[in-house]
Amino acid sequence: MRAGQRTAVALGALAAMLAMPLVVTSGFWMDFLILTLFVGVLGQGWNILGGYGGQLSFGHAVFFGTGAYVQAILQTQYGWNPWLAITPAVLAGVLVGAFIGYLSFRYGLRGSYFALITLAFAEAFRVLATSIEITEGGQGIYLRLNRDPDQAITMLQFASGVGYYYMILALTVVALLVAWWIEHSRFGAQLMAVRENEDAAEALGIDAFAVKMRAICISAALTASAGVFYVQKFLLMDPFIAFGPGKSVEALVAPIIGGMGTIFGPLLGSIVLHGVGELTKALTAAAGIDHPGLDLVIYGILLVLMLAFLPSGLMGLLRRRARPARSAEHA
Amino acid sequence: MTEKRKTYQITRRGFVAGSAAAAGIVGFPGVLRAQAAPVKIGLVHPVTGFLQFNGTQCRFGAVEAIKEINASGGIKSLGGAQLEAVLGDAQSKPEIGASEVEKFNEAGVSCIVGAYASGISMSTTQVAAKYGIPHVVDVGVTDKIVERGLDNVFRFGPGYGVITKVGVERFIAMNDAAGKPVKSIMIVHEDSTPFGGGTAALLEEGLTAAGFSVTKVGHPTPHRDFSNIVLQIKSANPDVVIPSSYPNEYELLVRTMQQQRVQPKGIYSVLGGSGSSYKFLAEYPEACQYIMDCNHWYNPKSAGAMALRKISEAAGVHFTYEVFLAYSAVKLVADAMEQAASADRKKIIDALAASNWSDHIMPYGPTKFVNGQNQGAQPLNLQYQGQEIEVIAPADYATSKAVFPRPA
Repeated sequence: MRAGQRTAVALGALAAMLAMPLVVTSGFWMDFLILTLFVGVLGQGWNILGGYGGQLSFGHAVFFGTGAYVQAILQTQYGWNPWLAITPAVLAGVLVGAFIGYLSFRYGLRGSYFALITLAFAEAFRVLATSIEITEGGQGIYLRLNRDPDQAITMLQFASGVGYYYMILALTVVALLVAWWIEHSRFGAQLMAVRENEDAAEALGIDAFAVKMRAICISAALTASAGVFYVQKFLLMDPFIAFGPGKSVEALVAPIIGGMGTIFGPLLGSIVLHGVGELTKALTAAAGIDHPGLDLVIYGILLVLMLAFLPSGLMGLLRRRARPARSAEHA
Repeated sequence: MTEKRKTYQITRRGFVAGSAAAAGIVGFPGVLRAQAAPVKIGLVHPVTGFLQFNGTQCRFGAVEAIKEINASGGIKSLGGAQLEAVLGDAQSKPEIGASEVEKFNEAGVSCIVGAYASGISMSTTQVAAKYGIPHVVDVGVTDKIVERGLDNVFRFGPGYGVITKVGVERFIAMNDAAGKPVKSIMIVHEDSTPFGGGTAALLEEGLTAAGFSVTKVGHPTPHRDFSNIVLQIKSANPDVVIPSSYPNEYELLVRTMQQQRVQPKGIYSVLGGSGSSYKFLAEYPEACQYIMDCNHWYNPKSAGAMALRKISEAAGVHFTYEVFLAYSAVKLVADAMEQAASADRKKIIDALAASNWSDHIMPYGPTKFVNGQNQGAQPLNLQYQGQEIEVIAPADYATSKAVFPRPA
């Protein structure tokens, strides 16, 4: 596919996504789309560092939670408008990313050591959030519900799912553009070189520390923005939601399923994860099986099978299918 | 040939008979209509995930209430309409709980009961408010649930504020009655969810104000080794330990204390996960002896409560607070439908707001909702004594006297 065709397809997909609320009138399916895009953004945040940079993190919740908490605290305790709180919230995520990155990369932590340190930071932040007053301890923070429809945009709280859909769609577009930029920029090439062989990259003159620092900051910014979205959508945040393992796992499973180090991998992974989840629920319900958790068991088996047979994720499968066709064209 | 013409005359007898027949025919669909359409109730609970036990208990209680209502003729003011449960699993996550409410709305539920945990209840009530669906919160104890001005949200049981206030007051009264043996207290609380941290903060505030020396130690949920925490307790040697944890961690803490022979003058919890649990009593009758708890509890003098307990035990389900609170929440909804004589969401909300339901199994008196909170709701103080969990306060409901300080 040529560049022009790719742009046309991307614009067509964007137009389709923009028009989606005209087609999807069901509140449930709108919520499904919102959660799918949300996990897609969360996954793209992880993908920048883990997929393109090869720095596998087990604790991306630390960025998600930081963004979410700053967004919530600035509104509830300092009376900030939610729009004004977004920038400090994302910057706080970046700062935490820079801090963890500096400590880890400065001392050469790689592979499982880096994964463990991110996990440890997420846990430390969780304990911190339960212990200090500003986060309201373990009780968590609850935002005031706006019930005035005229204030929906000002307060960034919408009565219907459509407002949230466009909000997360905007974030998704930003996340995809960032991934596209990484794939096509000098920085991205350096990042991928570091992923493939850090020592060789350094021998070629790439400052691996600086590259990884930039990557973790961008990754943290995207993940923190997902935290901002979560707070505005659900109006609550507590230490377990913010820094618990749940969000870290969601962030890494989507790109692993969809395809690490690809532009659309995290989004595709999220679509499949949520789609399979709902499909298994529907199947167990249709079969009249009232056994809570059975859908999750089926879902788990499907994920294991996908990981076993698609080590490069779904994008890897698509590429494999596209390759013979391209070879045939050239023959 | 004479032609005999037939004449059709309508006699009075014939008219009456015909009218009766016609009325019978016309009225027949009315008989069919007497089998009123079922009324859907959404039940959203965390039946998978780390709150799976509590959510499953809630679901059992709620479904049992529906079975009972249907068996006794359904909603009579709606022509005996049967209640139909629409089940939802929040998977222990607020965002999934919110999605389940979206599904409920599309399924046409008239009311929602749920969602056990405070965080999940916050999100489910919010989405329910969007569609004007009445939502009765069965357990969620954070008072913020009923402080957001949502007129569709009702909570039958007491919240944190009342429970911790009453828990502290009754503790002080018991300590005074025993000659004030307690000076120092250690709160051991879970810190993974709003429950443990929130309760601990409120208890610390109330007990410090009453002049006790209070220290706190947190632990995550799940947590599988309490050795270090028990060593801390041993070192601090408090007069009383207050656990504020979910059931598994609560039990493990108490059992570790027993193993390490740490025996303070009392273990007193407020909303303790297993502070008043028949499951704990059945499994570890020695470890739990004399533990006191201020918690949700049924009216021990209510025949309905005892009947429900028998049903639960026969089904192999422990009779925990989740069971009778969710059961009561569904019964409250059914009473509101009965009063409203309608399955309309708005009319049920109005009926709940005006509810003065008294035929229930809880020690609350007639319901009276102010901003969605039932004003009469209160916890009871309980103590494991022998093979039973006895009510030790307040006096109106007491079945035994407190044993405090605990015998060595």
